Amino acid sequence: MAERAEASLLARVRPGRGARVAAVLRRLAAMPARDPFAFAGLTIYAAFVLVALFADLLASNPPLEIVFTKAGRLAANLPPSAEFPLGTTNLGRDIYAQLVFGTRSALAVGLSAAIVVASVGTIVGLVAGYFGGWFDTVLMRIADMALSLPFLPFVVVLTGFLGASTWNIVLAVALLLWPNSARVIRSQVLTVRERAYIEAARVTGARPWRILFIHVAPNILPLSFVYGAIAIGWAIITEAGISFLGFGDSTSVSWGYMLQDAFSSQALSRGQYHWFGPPGICIMLIVVAGFFISRGYEEVFIPKLRD
Amino acid sequence: MILEVRDLEVHYRGKAAPTRAVDGASFAVPAGQIVGLVGESGCGKTTAARAIMGVLPGNARCVGGEIRFKGRTLDNAAMHDLRWRQIAYVPQSAMSSLDPVYTVGAQLAEVLTKRGTLGRAAAQARAADLFELVGLGPRRLADYPHQFSGGMRQRAAIAMALALEPSLILADEPVTALDVIVQRQVLDTLRALQQRLNLSVVLVTHDISVVAYLCDAVVVMYAGQVVESGPARDVLAHPRHPYTMGLRNAFPDLTSRATDLVPIDGSPPDLADPPAGCRFAPRCPFALAACTTGTVAVGADAPGHVSACRRDGEADALRRAALEPATWQRSSISATS
Amino acid sequence: MRLVLERFLHNAGALLAVTTILFFMFRLMPGTPLAAYINDNLNADQQRLMLEMFGLDKPMWMQYFIYLGNLVHGELGLSFFQRRPVLDILLEVLPNSLILTLTGLVVAYIFGVLAGAWLAWKRGSWVEGVAVPIVLASRAAPEFWIGMVLLALLSFNLGWFPSGGANSPGMFYTSEWQRLVSLDYLQHLALPVLTLALYLQGLPLLLMRSNMLEVMHEEFVVMARMKGFSQWRIVIRHAARNALLPVVTAFALGIGISMGGNVVVETVFSWPGIGRMLVTAVANLDYPLAQGAFLMIALVLITMNFVADLLYGVLDPRVRHGRAG
Ligand SMILES: Nc1ncnc2c1ncn2[C@@H]1O[C@H](COP(=O)(O)OP(=O)(O)OP(=O)(O)O)[C@@H](O)[C@H]1O
Ligand code: SF4
Ligand SMILES: [Mg+2]
Repeated sequence: MAERAEASLLARVRPGRGARVAAVLRRLAAMPARDPFAFAGLTIYAAFVLVALFADLLASNPPLEIVFTKAGRLAANLPPSAEFPLGTTNLGRDIYAQLVFGTRSALAVGLSAAIVVASVGTIVGLVAGYFGGWFDTVLMRIADMALSLPFLPFVVVLTGFLGASTWNIVLAVALLLWPNSARVIRSQVLTVRERAYIEAARVTGARPWRILFIHVAPNILPLSFVYGAIAIGWAIITEAGISFLGFGDSTSVSWGYMLQDAFSSQALSRGQYHWFGPPGICIMLIVVAGFFISRGYEEVFIPKLRD
Repeated sequence: MILEVRDLEVHYRGKAAPTRAVDGASFAVPAGQIVGLVGESGCGKTTAARAIMGVLPGNARCVGGEIRFKGRTLDNAAMHDLRWRQIAYVPQSAMSSLDPVYTVGAQLAEVLTKRGTLGRAAAQARAADLFELVGLGPRRLADYPHQFSGGMRQRAAIAMALALEPSLILADEPVTALDVIVQRQVLDTLRALQQRLNLSVVLVTHDISVVAYLCDAVVVMYAGQVVESGPARDVLAHPRHPYTMGLRNAFPDLTSRATDLVPIDGSPPDLADPPAGCRFAPRCPFALAACTTGTVAVGADAPGHVSACRRDGEADALRRAALEPATWQRSSISATS
Repeated sequence: MRLVLERFLHNAGALLAVTTILFFMFRLMPGTPLAAYINDNLNADQQRLMLEMFGLDKPMWMQYFIYLGNLVHGELGLSFFQRRPVLDILLEVLPNSLILTLTGLVVAYIFGVLAGAWLAWKRGSWVEGVAVPIVLASRAAPEFWIGMVLLALLSFNLGWFPSGGANSPGMFYTSEWQRLVSLDYLQHLALPVLTLALYLQGLPLLLMRSNMLEVMHEEFVVMARMKGFSQWRIVIRHAARNALLPVVTAFALGIGISMGGNVVVETVFSWPGIGRMLVTAVANLDYPLAQGAFLMIALVLITMNFVADLLYGVLDPRVRHGRAG
């Protein structure tokens, strides 16, 4: 009964779902022209996803295998060539292959951190913002606390002592980043819950959880998405930093591992830019893509941010 | 005439067509008088006043017309000299027009020393005098803008405008944001100072009762053009343009109680694409087919009480009809037009 | 005054929380914290004696209060590895970290503020179209990678700067102060500072740019033009002064935040600072030293959060007088 009344009231105060989806799609389709930044970001993401998926086809050598020249000698410290597009390491490993396979671990770290940050941040933000009360107070205090921990040192200590695994890095990043998204989402919930159709749903006696997930959450998802995109970049940079410091997972080849390898093998003094340059550029590209997308999507989904 | 504005045209850049916020407006300000510039919201009053100051937003261009001050054409070079020293401005919202990070006293002193010729100490003394002049305690000079009430801020803005003893003040809705009692006090202060210092004032307002209370002459603007002007008493007692008649019905008298107010139906036209002929025609109860062709505006050199209405000859009859609330109902408008 | 007290309590609470987290984090780590000391040569009795010596035989809650009490007295324990008081070790390297961070930040903020204001001025021009993506990219590059590229280019390739450390070997100074102002020290400082500055300039630049764009439309800037003030006075005294408020806060916060980031930069340049100390301590499983270094970094971070809160009040009269709007 209440739900019927709710539906009919909503029909009057809120634009239909179809109309809203169509509006978002229209804005998405217009994006490349309207927001070249976001489009560029999406293109970069898509390119890296393709490289990760087809890594085996793109690189012929396993990343940690020691390779030999045609003459049968150890292929150490070779400059870029047709056979090794980015040359080889001092131990005779194919740098190009490492770069290609590094894409996989980068995306794995980035996406898993993004999923954890976005989902924890969203749930905490929704519940704290909608129900308020002591629950809200406690959660926001915890968020404050997490924000006063120094980021990188915390990750260093955690991974240093808990053991060098990719998952510990993801865990540490997620532990420190969820408060940012939770706070912003909470304040967004505070404004959304005052809107007419939420008010209408409340008046008609819809259950709170139903209102929260059916009516409030859809308004929040774009923000979760934005914070997820930002977390991808942070996680990848952090993984690289931790690997560089020597606390990384030494069994998988990541861009951070490559940089650490190059650094400790005197690639800098030998001027092997082809070794330590590309991994840094890849990290930069993926993080920049996150910046671009978070800018663009904010505009697509939250039109009031446009000026 | 201390100020003459002739065929002023100001455009805002727009997506398709420019917004012609001021479109051929002409009026004059006699020395030592208060001239009210009235019209509904969006008629281009602020834009006209800012064009006189020569300070327009980045997307605005002054595309035509001439402004003369004491017989001298106002261009950038002239304004460089005259700004604030001869022509000062009282903004609509005094809160946002004061820099939040300096005390009001410091901002007064800044004008006195950087645009005026006073030294630091003399500026302090002068600032205190100015505060006294507008009815503020000199102690409040040390306060920041956010510590002032709305009325006090408006007084401070008037003190700021008077700082360099200008001969002309442009006041843009100086009391609109205030409640009625404070409005009266600030207007009284303005009037007293105007007489004492023999100032000329252009008072921008959308409130015709403020004009009745304070002004010597009045210029009525509609959709970027001047539709009627003349001595305030004449214009208010015997309005000749239907828009002025409508305005008079639509506002409560500052001196009397609000009785049956009759609003003008509809809203001003889109200035990016204004209607041809008389711009008031779509809302005018007396519009005829002939009203929608050609241009209708008050000419540049019109003396006395003038109206741009095509049916100016029948003004007396129209005025009588306009007193009937029924005249202003939607149905009657569609019937006549 | 109430505001100051409130912010103080807030930040003191955060500090207590961080020390608590730290305590339990280190206690709950796998393995005994005395792994470095206890080896197979010690028999069971000797091991117990060792635990008693470090107070590790007491119940957890008692250890917690002893730990807090010690902290209040600046007692951070002995380094397992160096067998010296942790506090002494940290105070030795702290100046290096502070000097690096502050110099880097100052360079970054001076550049960022000026460039940001200039870019706001160039709104809508091709300069903006080129510069903004470049700045975004500079914020996206890993800090240590910027350091590596600069090191390879300016030190190994061109030989302009030394490649690491804080002083050349074999140099002796009569006092710490003399060491810090020696030309040799400054030469070693230059490259890490440049790295830090390159990495950090993006934030103040973008912040200043967007603030300027906003402020330039404010009514009081329009009024300053009406008053006939010079362009220079309007931009500097009114627009920039207001646009600067959040940037100054960001600067104070930046001291705390980039102290944490120093972990990687100090490693790249073998800079003997607190960040590198933390990394070595963790690598050596030197719990007391790691804990001390972490606490020191957290202390700087939280202090700077507090300073930022206060600064905002000092710089913005609206906050100072207890009104937000
Ligand atoms: N910065 C701007 N950019 C574009 N259009 C503007 C701008 N400022 C004003 N306009 C347009 O110009 C027209 C005149 O505006 P103006 O502010 O001069 O009117 P006004 O008579 O002062 O109104 P009010 O009583 O609301 O202050 C309006 O249609 C308005 O939409
Ligand atoms: S009568 Fe005609 S000219 Fe006069 S105001 Fe009405 S429409 Fe305009
Ligand atoms: Mg206006």
